[in-house]
Amino acid sequence: MDASELQPVLDFLKSLVPFDDLSEQTLLQCCKRLTIGYYGKAQGYVPLDADNPQLYIVRSGAFEVTDPDGELIDRLGEGDYFGFPSLLSGEVNTRVHILEDALVYHLDLESFDDLRKESRLFDRFFNRAYAKRMRHQGRFKAKELTTTSRIRTLMSSSPLTIDMQSTILQAAQLMRQARVSSVLVIDNHKLAGILTDRDLRNRVLAEGLDGALPVHQAMTTTPITVHPNTIVFEAMLLMSEHSIHHLPVVEEDKAVGVITSTDILRGQSSQPLLLIGEIERQKDLPSLINVSKQIPLLLQNLISADARAEEIGRILTSVTDALTRRLIHLNQQVLGEAPMPFCWLSFGSQGRQDQAACSDQDNGLLLAHEPDEHAKAYFEALTKAVCAGLNECGYVYCPGDIMAQNPQWCMSLEKWQGVFEQWVMSPQPKALMHASIFFDMRSVYGPISLFDALQDRVLANTKGNDIFLAGLAGNALSEAPPLGFFRKFVLERDGSEVKGIDLKHRGSALINDIARVYSLFAGIKEVNTAKRIRVLMEMNIINRKDALNLADAHEFIGHMRLANQGHQFTHDQACTNYLLPQNLSSLVRHQLRDAFKVVHDAQSGMKLKFTRTF
Amino acid sequence: MDVQTLTYLIVGFTFALYIGIAIWSRAGSTKEFYVAGGGVHPVVNGMATAADWMSAASFISLAGIVSFVGFDGSVYLMGWTGGYVLLALCMAPYLRKFGKFTVPDFIGDRYYSQAARTVAVVCAIFICFTYIAGQMRGVGVVFSRFLEVDVETGVYIGMAVVFFYAVLGGMKGITYTQVAQYCVLIFAFMVPAIFISVMMTGHILPQIGFGAELVDAAGNGTGTYLLDKLDGLSNELGFAQYTEGSKSTIDVFFITGALMFGTAGLPHVIVRFFTVPKVKDSRSSAGWALVFIAIMYTTIPALAAFSRVNMIETINGPDSTGVAYETAPQWIKNWEKTGLIKWDDKNADGKIYYAKGPENEMKIDRDIMVLATPEIADLPAWVIALVAAGGLAAALSTSAGLLLVISTSVSHDLLKKNLMPDISDKKELMFARIAAAAGIVMAGYFGINPPGFVAAVVAIAFGLAASSLFPAIVMGIFSKTINKEGAIAGMITGLGFTAAYIIYFKFMNPGDNNPANWFLGVSPEGIGMLGMLINFAVAFGVSKVTAKVPDSVQEMVEGIRFPKGSGGAQSH
Amino acid sequence: MLASFWLKMRLRKQLLKCKHVTLQRYLEALNRVLNLNVNDVELVALDLEMTGLDPQVDQILSIGIVPISHGQLQMQQAEHKLIKIDGSVGQSATIHGILDHHLEDAVSIEEAIEWLLEQTQGKFIVAHHAPLDIRFLQVQFQKIYNENVKLPVIDTLMIERNRLLKQHETLQDGALRLGASRARYNLPVYNAHNALIDALACGELLLAQIQAISTQGQVKIADIAKLT
Repeated sequence: MDASELQPVLDFLKSLVPFDDLSEQTLLQCCKRLTIGYYGKAQGYVPLDADNPQLYIVRSGAFEVTDPDGELIDRLGEGDYFGFPSLLSGEVNTRVHILEDALVYHLDLESFDDLRKESRLFDRFFNRAYAKRMRHQGRFKAKELTTTSRIRTLMSSSPLTIDMQSTILQAAQLMRQARVSSVLVIDNHKLAGILTDRDLRNRVLAEGLDGALPVHQAMTTTPITVHPNTIVFEAMLLMSEHSIHHLPVVEEDKAVGVITSTDILRGQSSQPLLLIGEIERQKDLPSLINVSKQIPLLLQNLISADARAEEIGRILTSVTDALTRRLIHLNQQVLGEAPMPFCWLSFGSQGRQDQAACSDQDNGLLLAHEPDEHAKAYFEALTKAVCAGLNECGYVYCPGDIMAQNPQWCMSLEKWQGVFEQWVMSPQPKALMHASIFFDMRSVYGPISLFDALQDRVLANTKGNDIFLAGLAGNALSEAPPLGFFRKFVLERDGSEVKGIDLKHRGSALINDIARVYSLFAGIKEVNTAKRIRVLMEMNIINRKDALNLADAHEFIGHMRLANQGHQFTHDQACTNYLLPQNLSSLVRHQLRDAFKVVHDAQSGMKLKFTRTF
Repeated sequence: MDVQTLTYLIVGFTFALYIGIAIWSRAGSTKEFYVAGGGVHPVVNGMATAADWMSAASFISLAGIVSFVGFDGSVYLMGWTGGYVLLALCMAPYLRKFGKFTVPDFIGDRYYSQAARTVAVVCAIFICFTYIAGQMRGVGVVFSRFLEVDVETGVYIGMAVVFFYAVLGGMKGITYTQVAQYCVLIFAFMVPAIFISVMMTGHILPQIGFGAELVDAAGNGTGTYLLDKLDGLSNELGFAQYTEGSKSTIDVFFITGALMFGTAGLPHVIVRFFTVPKVKDSRSSAGWALVFIAIMYTTIPALAAFSRVNMIETINGPDSTGVAYETAPQWIKNWEKTGLIKWDDKNADGKIYYAKGPENEMKIDRDIMVLATPEIADLPAWVIALVAAGGLAAALSTSAGLLLVISTSVSHDLLKKNLMPDISDKKELMFARIAAAAGIVMAGYFGINPPGFVAAVVAIAFGLAASSLFPAIVMGIFSKTINKEGAIAGMITGLGFTAAYIIYFKFMNPGDNNPANWFLGVSPEGIGMLGMLINFAVAFGVSKVTAKVPDSVQEMVEGIRFPKGSGGAQSH
Repeated sequence: MLASFWLKMRLRKQLLKCKHVTLQRYLEALNRVLNLNVNDVELVALDLEMTGLDPQVDQILSIGIVPISHGQLQMQQAEHKLIKIDGSVGQSATIHGILDHHLEDAVSIEEAIEWLLEQTQGKFIVAHHAPLDIRFLQVQFQKIYNENVKLPVIDTLMIERNRLLKQHETLQDGALRLGASRARYNLPVYNAHNALIDALACGELLLAQIQAISTQGQVKIADIAKLT
């Protein structure tokens, strides 16, 4: 049999990416290894067999790919493929619904693997298609992703409440009756406290308190509360932070519900927290490296789930934090207990809880007091190991060497205070450059009082120091948003690539800078940009309208940046901050332009206030 | 090419230069400096400071005053130079340590009082208005001569140029633009001075020519010294001897004091010291600025003397009886068009004649002196054009700085912090621009109807600064006992007294403005010093009888003067 | 049910009639699977290219087969054989595109028939307009084995005709041609023509037809095979 005899089949395969990359000879072999099936619409589904995975090449007809719950993942027509996820993963987790009578070519696993070996392009194509499929699956799942969904969706509405003057006994009976583990204590329609099973045990039984006493004597007063719009993930963090299991949900001063850890667990199928949990379970570096491979996928899922950029940043940073803590913990198991209390500081994007793809590490070590030789050796070993671990987990070494393993950034409290004071008192260009990294600091590990001692001192120095702030503002003004005359986008080249809009350096970073200048001016401890803006608005330092605009612009530009990186990931391009404006719809262009205009206005405002020019 | 075309060309070229530098330094070059870790070199910063410092008053008017009043004019030189040294060495380092960017902010924080801040803001605005009015007059003179319009139109044109420069342009406040302005300015000032010095005395340096013997056209010494000749001419024409003062000692003392302490309280100059990151650098750039200022200030007396001799000789002719109007030098006719020179042929002999007393037929505005000097000395046309560009450079850099202080003080300190705390950034910016426009309009009014010559108007501004802000700053730094009540009362009485005195003599009763009516024989130009003393006295008095300064503030003051611990607040 | 019984009876008769052991074995193998569902039986889609349409005069030029098992066409075993003929392909070349020089490496018709019987052992032949192809084969059976046998074959044209008539459609000219039939099942158009491609096209049509028929229940081989 020569090539001409199966010409139509051959021609068809040749017209397909990635088969077009194969040699004529291979294609002919491939043709001969096909089997051909016909799927009638009436049949409903294509019976996928996990034991005999095949590549299905649609010759004619149409299909819909759904996940097991029936959520649409993809629509296929002539020249499309399905079944490759099973070939690559050995699992069948999709259903293929026959929309139109279809003729399908099948290629078995062995042939498929041969072709993958034969052609790198062929291999890449299906791996990417697989990743994309995973994401699409994620998109529809992510809608229910517990971590990014709101408390409102999980909380028990119409919570059990009791008046402040009722007795403990009454409260306990009410709880038994409603079979719940907590009751909200209300005083004059306002939340006064919460009484939980644990309170009854610890404060009533253990203390031998009289059941006839009013309930406010046993309750937890001014409990930590959340807003219905809080993302579940944050509620979980709050719970674990304070080791509590109940959070009253309060809206406009009224208790509207309760969320418990059980509620969250019930709704949980979520990735980030699972990932963090997994990180916390790992026993050695290789397994941590392995787990951290999921991080890019988590980011992609969050992006395709259309989570807010701010939330994505916070979630990814939480993962980084967990990883850092775990690495510290694991290394301490080897090195023994630290000779003195210390804080692991994170700076820059990790400090701001603003991490995205391709982050490098910016960190430092804060020691309680001046180390002796022994302590120095200990911390050198610890920081080297942790930084190396982070590097291997995908957080590459900081090119500027701002890392805890650099002795320059591994200092005692007193020295750190001195360094910051020097920067503030003598705002030279280098100090101002450092400011954008170091002043966004957060403690990832260690006693909070130690970190506070540093931060309080730093803020005391910066607060109202107009000369420093003028320098900082001037530095922040060295870059402008990419809008030229007539509000046209200013495009730049990133090295070799085509021209694009630099969303980071001429967008997000500018807003970060603005928020930082105002926060240091006001002495605000918060370092997350969105939160900073919120606090500044509440303190009436930034006009309400300006603050809301700025927060929106920050979110929008951040979102565009992440979406762009998602797009780049899908298309197997290098991850950059450059957005090609020709890819945008006119509406999005318009919005982007508005966002940049907001940044420009905010810059002008800052320039006027802090550098006294315009 | 005639002078006018050349003026357009050279002024146009210098503007293109400023804009070009502004664009260049915007386009990321500042970032490159940062990356290199270099920052701005103190020499460069010194030049920029000098450009900020040397206003139209220094450039245009100072030589004129010295030229006309002789020795008495030197009070300006002494006062301003002394003030600069006082500011750079005794005050700036402490203010810097305090961390406040503007004078009102310092006063507001030091005297723990919003009211004190507001009073300081009002003082600052008042001072800046006065100062800028002097600048507008200078710009008007430049434009009127070179566009051949009368001085009023010249001021209008100047207003428009300054407004666009200060409000719309992105050129101001950029170090390298100011360096360029300094270069243009000093070049424009030195070239004619050197030319004339060589022509008249054979010495290249005007500073040496000033004290040298005159030479004839062939370059041979004549045996007569320049200053002797000038004294001789002055005697002959009935003027006081050039090298002798006519002001009373007490007035000279007070004017010098007012200028000196006023300089140290000028809001727009203090800021310059904070834009240098390191204390050490700020000291050395202040030193360099002094050098660059000195280049011009030491030339001023020489230039004044040269042009005086030249002027008298060209008007009165070699036999000192005057020349026929028809054969009068061209510069007189050129300047007549501006209205700044007037000839009144009292004895109807058809000859122009300049002297003191009733036989004088010439009315010559002092402010034209520097601008007219090249023409009087018959220098090439391009030198004349260059001087115009220099005058504009001096006026622009200073008035931009002043307008910024006015507009940001109004929008941020007055409106945002006091009257409407909830305005948006955009509104704040809009109010700033409106304030700048209003500032220019008011300054323009005083530029057209000046209460005195440019330098004199400016002197009033210094007087106001000396009587209001300077004491508050000094006491803020060096005294722990002055409280907010004292400071506020001091500022208000100091400023009130000085302003009232000046307004009375300069506006309400200009006829009475002579030593006989002056309080203690102090002229309105010097009254600022007295206002300052009153301010000190009131502040101490009021502080004595009111509440003590809070401990935290006392500690703060202590901290400014004596840095505690190893904090590294000094220089690294 | 009745049809299948009838087919069985007639096939039994053929078996009894047949003397040549090769053909006997061949029919016997088919008889064994006659009761099965069509998807559980092995089929072979077949197409012949001939020099003309008269079985008595014209000769077979090529044979294309594509086996069908588990309801799928197996390209691995698809084959195409060219056959030596007496004389020239003549004008028929315009239809099948086989030129005389193509036949230089061809096999003799006897070898080809032997090979075909081997390949289709236990498998039902599927062809579009099967009677014509079968007639050509039967002429050869007569020549080689001296036997006049009928074979149970599946005729996709027949199936298509019955389906259309059942839907009360009037048959238009050419409606039952292979291409037209395939179009009704959303099957792609094949531009090239040779015995192999046509066999493939026919096999795909059958799969589509089985899908269509099977909506009313399982399709047994006896329901669609005819003794031809």
